[in-house]
Amino acid sequence: MEIFEYAFMQRAFIVGILLAIVIPCIGIVVVLKRLSMIGDALSHASLAGVAGGLLIGMNPVAGAAIACILASLGIEAIRRKIPRYSELSISIMMSTGVGLAGVLSGFVGNAANFNSFLFGSIVAISDLELYLVTGVSLAVLLTFLLLYKELFYIALDERSARLAGIPVSAVNFIFTILTAITVAVAARTVGALIVSSMMVIPTACAMQLGKNYWQTLLYAIGFDVLFMIIGLFCAYYLGLKPGGTIVLVGVILLILILTAKKIMKVE
Amino acid sequence: MKNKLHRLTTAITIALTAVLSLSGCSRLAQSDPLPSSFENLEDGKLKVAVSFYPMYDFASKIGADQIDLINLVPSGTEPHDWEPSASDLTNLEKADVFVYSGAGMEHWVDRVLNSLTNENLMVVEASNGIALRTNSSDEDEEHDNHDNHDEHDEHIESEEHEFSDHEDHDHSEGEDHADHDHDHDSESTGLFHFHASDSGHSHSHDGGLDPHVWLNPEYAKKEMENIKNAFVSADPKNKDFYEANYEKYAVEFDKLDEDFHNTIAALPNREIVVAHEAYGYLCDAYGLTQVGIEGLTPDSEPTPRRMARIIDFVREHHVKVIFFEALTSSKSADTVAAETGIITSVLNPLEGLSAEEIVAGNDYLSVMRDNLNALSEALSE
Repeated sequence: MEIFEYAFMQRAFIVGILLAIVIPCIGIVVVLKRLSMIGDALSHASLAGVAGGLLIGMNPVAGAAIACILASLGIEAIRRKIPRYSELSISIMMSTGVGLAGVLSGFVGNAANFNSFLFGSIVAISDLELYLVTGVSLAVLLTFLLLYKELFYIALDERSARLAGIPVSAVNFIFTILTAITVAVAARTVGALIVSSMMVIPTACAMQLGKNYWQTLLYAIGFDVLFMIIGLFCAYYLGLKPGGTIVLVGVILLILILTAKKIMKVE
Repeated sequence: MKNKLHRLTTAITIALTAVLSLSGCSRLAQSDPLPSSFENLEDGKLKVAVSFYPMYDFASKIGADQIDLINLVPSGTEPHDWEPSASDLTNLEKADVFVYSGAGMEHWVDRVLNSLTNENLMVVEASNGIALRTNSSDEDEEHDNHDNHDEHDEHIESEEHEFSDHEDHDHSEGEDHADHDHDHDSESTGLFHFHASDSGHSHSHDGGLDPHVWLNPEYAKKEMENIKNAFVSADPKNKDFYEANYEKYAVEFDKLDEDFHNTIAALPNREIVVAHEAYGYLCDAYGLTQVGIEGLTPDSEPTPRRMARIIDFVREHHVKVIFFEALTSSKSADTVAAETGIITSVLNPLEGLSAEEIVAGNDYLSVMRDNLNALSEALSE
């Protein structure tokens, strides 16, 4: 097939499918914890990290990762203070991130450098980024499987998880860092749009079909991989921008699933 | 979406910069070698504000030490993305002449000028009188340059005709038009455009027109001439000085044009692959064809199909070099280069120079000569 003749498309598929497997693992926990917007918030916060990194001469992706970790710890802290409005913590950190990025970017002399770290594109992935994404994906997947049961309890109900003897703060801390690193690396590589939508749309689809947590997770991964493949094919053959196409494929499928479910219920 | 995010970020940047510059903090920001605010308001020299680097260079060549010149878009910043800050507006209030290139390059000009109360500001659209080319690259994915090559050449000729017509035309008309504007200014209020009243193109800001006129040395000369005419009418006592400087540099611009003609005519290849299609005027003038990974504005995500076409193009035409520009990200250029095993190199569209380049004494002429060297290396056998 013509589409696979190009190395950049092969890369897009490899990185895309890897992320499509890993991100729903984080996404399902995030959605159940009512933190769906965290992907957006963190990718905005990571902009501040990029600017900060360039300013003090640190690798901007490392800067982005640090900013993401700080932001997600901030979100956790605010969430604990105001537990009934957990989405509030996200908007607060998002505004902080955008504000900080705005101020810091004024001090970055070379705009080119800044821009190149601001936006990733799934069709322009360098060697280094390929390795970085692979490494992060494997680390996240391993940790997720190791902490599978703990995360499951916490995602459903933090209080009963604590009663069941799970070290909630420790697990939350690890999960927070995993989320932060995934967003930081993926947003720089494939773009913030893809990352934040891949966290929630497949989970939303999967929740319509899955009967339990495990099933929902498998559905979410399946859907995400499907969106990625359909999206890349459409983008290639129809000449569309890949990031937006992948997201829209997901949204269209979600609408189809919701409609189909309604029709079946009526019958 | 990206664009929105970008705008949001920019908007916040502006708000914060405004706050910071009020408190005087923005001085720390960076040491820009080009002045960005008028230091001495009482020295009686013509106060000139320009939009971005090529305008600065042309204006300083004409005005030299007889004018106070400031540059709005700071060194190293991509002018497509820039927005004016509060202190920039303050400076424009104090200026006598404002020079911008126009043709959609500075999307903020109309908005900013409308918000000014400076009634004596002479506004110069330097690209005035240049036959602008429209950009067709956005719709067409395929660049079948072989089929329409002949057509293309004809097109170039006709465009040159149009240009020289324009030039003569403007020569005779320019002076009295300027006078007219001058009178007009002294008796009525408000801002006025320096013989730009009939230019419909100043309004079409998004897309359509290619704003990168200064990349053709002859058009650059024309921009310099427009600037000179404005200076002469705003500051008639230094007329001879401005005219002499114009004559001096016009010769150098002609020489540059001639060198481009001779060097490129001797090269075997005609196709260049660039990150963003800024070189339309340059290509038209010397019979080159540009293929851009991204369209006319940098930093938009390329579609995979376009990337694939460009990779095919590089292989088919044995292109040796992919050009990217110093001020924008080279991610997509790197990807195409890695895939096809060729190298990337800088072709400077002169949308701005970095602080180091300016300190090192580069100007329009020297950067264009670097570009010529880069082109002749890329297009040789």
